[in-house]
Amino acid sequence: MAQALFNIFVFPGFLFVAAFGLTAEYIDRKLYALMQNRIGPPWFQPLADFIKLSAKEDVVPQHADKLVFKLMPIVAMTSILTAFIYIPMWGSNALFAFKGDLVVVMYLLTVPTLTYFLGGWYSRSVYSMIGAARSLTQLFAYEIPLFLSILAPAMLADTWSLSGISEYFSTHPWAILFNIVGFVIAIIALLGKLEKVPFDIPEAETEIVAGAFTEYSGRLLAMFRLAIDMELVVGASLLAAVFLPFGLHYGPAAGFALYLVKVLFIIGLISLARTIVARLRIDQMINFCWKVIAPLAFLQFLADLILKGVHN
Amino acid sequence: MSLIKKIVTWARIKSPWIIHFNTGACNACDIEIIAALTPIYDVERFGVILRGTPRHADVLVCSGPVTRQIKDRLIRIYEQMPEPKFVVACGTCACSGGVFSGCYNVEGGIDQVIPVSAYIPGCPASPRAIIDGVVKLLASVDNASKPAKELVVNGI
Repeated sequence: MAQALFNIFVFPGFLFVAAFGLTAEYIDRKLYALMQNRIGPPWFQPLADFIKLSAKEDVVPQHADKLVFKLMPIVAMTSILTAFIYIPMWGSNALFAFKGDLVVVMYLLTVPTLTYFLGGWYSRSVYSMIGAARSLTQLFAYEIPLFLSILAPAMLADTWSLSGISEYFSTHPWAILFNIVGFVIAIIALLGKLEKVPFDIPEAETEIVAGAFTEYSGRLLAMFRLAIDMELVVGASLLAAVFLPFGLHYGPAAGFALYLVKVLFIIGLISLARTIVARLRIDQMINFCWKVIAPLAFLQFLADLILKGVHN
Repeated sequence: MSLIKKIVTWARIKSPWIIHFNTGACNACDIEIIAALTPIYDVERFGVILRGTPRHADVLVCSGPVTRQIKDRLIRIYEQMPEPKFVVACGTCACSGGVFSGCYNVEGGIDQVIPVSAYIPGCPASPRAIIDGVVKLLASVDNASKPAKELVVNGI
């Protein structure tokens, strides 16, 4: 019982993921500033933002659905934390693992986008409704390539469990070289999932103020921001577990350091994308995802299928 | 002051999110406010971010005299901001009405309509004066339940 509570609230649960998420946001903003020749925020900036927002007044709009409006940040945070439990960090074993946990993790990582939609839609504000509709439209564009690109290594490893995938690739390290295209596709799709530039169309602040979060303030906004930071960490950990399974047999300490390096590498790639590209329009984004990224993901899948046939 | 209150005050000083509202300015102060947010001045060092919505903002930066047309909108935007909130009057017109004081269509300075915490004079106020004003305003916030003391920042 005490062990389970420790796992849920401290490690690898709420406290660890929250601290790691805030650090990841700082690293993202600092790298962004350095690449723009600025000094950037101090190290405690995300924490100060979180504390300040938590201490502010909560305003619930008069016409909003109060229950959905207040519930959605908690649902977003909970589903992301649940997904993290099934992702292996060091070694090839996650804290909890069963045969189909890859499907469960992908499903749980879809829930936050739905909460942004519901929270924005039930705010009953014009800007937040446009943002909500855009985030759901975007969901249909990036989700298919992301699923396909993660399906390819799973098929190669002949398992539906993340621990199984890590185990297979740590014994067959050369096989991961065939998934580099899949890794790039997964990073691009992750940008869409996290609503980062160039796919920050749902919260484009130059057009629709703040998208689905326009009416959120105070504690609820703080929880949503924390959920987005956690999603960044959990998404990066998922890609690290599937596409970068190196050095899984060096023991917990070295393995954990290596895990941090892998996740920070993926976060660095995301900040780089944020610096060098501008925001796309929603129709350009959908065209790009369906006409370029999804066929490439299919090709990746075919390549893995052929490799599997030749190898056996 | 208890420990939690100290931490919250520290966070408020370190993370001022601003919203900019033109209450009838000639655009000079608006250009200077936007200039203060560019990478040359890098206000993210102080945690300042420009937000588009009053729900996310802590500091309302107003420029220009309050015209009769804009008065209701200014009050509405002020009331949409969650507590605690601060108002900065940026530029001579926002402080007192400036050259427009006494016009038939002008109410006067911002403080004729909503409570103002800091005044930044200048025609237009320079970006350095604006940053100095916001930072000094936050340094004077020692008790968030009371509004901050009125400040006048010298133009640079």
